[in-house]
Amino acid sequence: MYSLVHTAALCGIDSRMVSVEADISDGMPLFEMVGFLAAEVKEAKERVRTALKNSGYHLPIKRITLNFSPANIRKSGAAFDLPVAVALLAAMGVVKKDDLAHILLAGEVTLDGKVAAVDGILPMVMAARENGMDTCIVPEDNHEEAALVPGMRVVAVGDLSEAEAFLNRGEYREKSRAPKEKKQGKTYDFSMLNGQKLLRRSCEVAISGMHNMLLVGPPGAGKTMAAKCIPSILPPMTEEEQLELSKIYSACGMFGEREGLMESRPFRSPHHTVSEQGLTGGGAVPRPGEISLAHGGILFLDELTEFRKSTLEILRQPLEEKKIRISRASGVYCFPADFVLVAAMNPCDCGYYPDLEKCRCTMASVRRHVQKLSRPLVDRIDICTRVDALPYRELSGGRQENETSAQIRERVVRVHAIQRERFAGTQIRFNSAIPADVLPIFCALGSRESAYMESLYERMELTARSYHKILRVARTIADMDGQERIAVRHLQEASCYRSLGREYWEECL
Amino acid sequence: MKYRYWLMNVKGISETDKRALSERLGGAREVFFAAEQRIGQIIGAKKAGEVVRQRGAWELDGAYRRFAEAGVTMVTQEDRSYPLLLRRIHQAPYGLYVSGTLPPEDADLTAIVGARRCSPYGRQMAEELAGALAGRGFSVVSGMARGIDGAAHRGCLAGGALTVAVLGCGVDVCYPKEHEKLCRVIRNNGCILSEFPPGTPPLAYHFPQRNRIISGMASRVIVVEAQEKSGSLITAELALEQGRDVYAVPGRVTDPLSAGCNRLIWQGAEPILSVEEFIGGLCGDRGKNAAKEAAKQEKIFLEKEETLVYSCFDLYPKSVDSVCEETGMDLLRLLSVIMDLCDKGFLREYVKNQYVRCR
Repeated sequence: MYSLVHTAALCGIDSRMVSVEADISDGMPLFEMVGFLAAEVKEAKERVRTALKNSGYHLPIKRITLNFSPANIRKSGAAFDLPVAVALLAAMGVVKKDDLAHILLAGEVTLDGKVAAVDGILPMVMAARENGMDTCIVPEDNHEEAALVPGMRVVAVGDLSEAEAFLNRGEYREKSRAPKEKKQGKTYDFSMLNGQKLLRRSCEVAISGMHNMLLVGPPGAGKTMAAKCIPSILPPMTEEEQLELSKIYSACGMFGEREGLMESRPFRSPHHTVSEQGLTGGGAVPRPGEISLAHGGILFLDELTEFRKSTLEILRQPLEEKKIRISRASGVYCFPADFVLVAAMNPCDCGYYPDLEKCRCTMASVRRHVQKLSRPLVDRIDICTRVDALPYRELSGGRQENETSAQIRERVVRVHAIQRERFAGTQIRFNSAIPADVLPIFCALGSRESAYMESLYERMELTARSYHKILRVARTIADMDGQERIAVRHLQEASCYRSLGREYWEECL
Repeated sequence: MKYRYWLMNVKGISETDKRALSERLGGAREVFFAAEQRIGQIIGAKKAGEVVRQRGAWELDGAYRRFAEAGVTMVTQEDRSYPLLLRRIHQAPYGLYVSGTLPPEDADLTAIVGARRCSPYGRQMAEELAGALAGRGFSVVSGMARGIDGAAHRGCLAGGALTVAVLGCGVDVCYPKEHEKLCRVIRNNGCILSEFPPGTPPLAYHFPQRNRIISGMASRVIVVEAQEKSGSLITAELALEQGRDVYAVPGRVTDPLSAGCNRLIWQGAEPILSVEEFIGGLCGDRGKNAAKEAAKQEKIFLEKEETLVYSCFDLYPKSVDSVCEETGMDLLRLLSVIMDLCDKGFLREYVKNQYVRCR
């Protein structure tokens, strides 16, 4: 007897349909599975055999062959247990085969026949819908995730007998699940940040133009606090963005038991010991890394100078292309990685330079400290701000009438709208991404302004690259001001945010 | 020359002994060929044996040739170009290695010394003093260390005068490393001196020793920023012993970096109240008036807001936020004013978003 069921294999954050064929025929008793299987998929044999026995089905003593096709993609993960079990039941004639053609199956099976949750349900169900299926049988714990895809009938099963009941008799009782208490993580709001006017302003500028940002300051000055506030001023995500982000989290098994899509923008702050693969994604079958988990949100690298240089170098390509391409033997995987980089560092080893009463570092060690950063990476950071510790009277002022994140966000949304309008019909989305060759079009300067930039160029010993960065940031500041033309005051403010000087890298007299 | 080179490198006898030998016997060559007994009459029998033993201990011809080919020259007390003031100090080195051109005999040198770890205030004062001295034709001698020393050399070079750096290592060794460029510029606009042979590494005990040369070459010593118990104070003490005028730049009472200077003033060193006044004092009244005139002419008219912001800054770095707090100005307006002041050369960004006065 032959049967065929459909399931899906996770490839990066997308899914590809896989069909599982089962055949039971006469011959020497044998249980064989073929089709480019990873070790955990081969083990399904033992799990499914025992699970079927414990659920009251007996495998015939015959020659059993299972084939996974297409045979050229590697199948890994635990989601193949349920399709294997159902394919066997269908081949044994225990369940009806009629409806199996438009049902997607995915789930892990335990020895007692229970169906356990798996990673990546969301992309699998999306792939099923694209392939014209209308029903999916998924583990109970993946119910919410699967239900996010509109137009799919989700059948959440707790064990094999429930699956059999649905397939044979269409019995399915949607279990009423107690609505979970929404886990409200600690939310950070700019109203918590007292004083620090320059810092507040530069965060707003950075997000308004989606510029990458570097905060430099002594320990305890509020760099991390400010970074954690930044997601709260990012504009809300569109449904499309939410779906994309949810897919990434689903593929990583980090979707959790939330109801609905991921609504809040991510804030990822990997520890500085993170490996290259941890940051970009990797593995034999690559999984998304921190930069993809920060897609649409903030990647915060605290203690930037402590990161390994090779790890940071890897960021250069995704910062430009907004995605990361990973090549492995099993294929090329492309993960979205459109994030705003916010980095923080101390100005020297002890952190207090240039306060000579506290800092014991020599000038050479200060330079060494900064030189741990790679210049190409620093070149990709548009805004750099010094953060200093607050004087006591500002700290103790209690909650002053600080602006809230919601108020700032309103303005940010407006500035983003201006940019959408300006860049309509181009590849550019934000001011930070204006290529150098079209800068004169979008950041045209009047005669007074260009005279000012000329004097600035000489006084600050700018490079072409830093000159362009000032223009881009000035464009954002002008947008925030509601001005079409960039004025001298915008350029002046922008030049205050320019990156760490070259004096740290180049020999000077 | 070869014999002078040999005498410079003789170990185990003091600089005073070498000088006595060359003076009494009529030159290094005569010392080399003199009888042990004759040498013994001058510096004692024990040391004479030491000298004689070193006559054949190393191959002089080859060593001297290698030295001469390295591009380093030397000056000994037998030469007329040996710095005049230095000749008179106690334990004046018999010879010095020179890279560059020695200042003319009648050059009036001023030593500027101070801490390696210095504040922007100290750096600025050192640069201004050196620049003003250079403008009046004085050369500056210092130790090419980090901080004040380097700033003094830079100021002097910027003022267009020759400068002299005295090192605690060989003249061909650049220490500290970050002064490599400065080192090159000094070689072409003055000279680098050392009593240690080329190739000598910078060892800690060399530095107090070379300090006597810095103060010895100069007719006055200015201490810019010094902590208590620092090398700069040793230099000041040596300067007093050598009969040089000692000046000190006063600082805040609470600032440990200025504690040494303030103590020097308490002990009787002359405080430098302003660069103009100091230069005026050196050059007589005529100079004083001229300096005042110059200061008057340089005054640029500042707008009201600019004056307010400028008055908030001093020579210690200050952040934008604290000035914003002090003046109560709008942040964006303040940034704009600060940038204007930077443009006009009144302020300078010391580190990211922290500014100091330039004048």
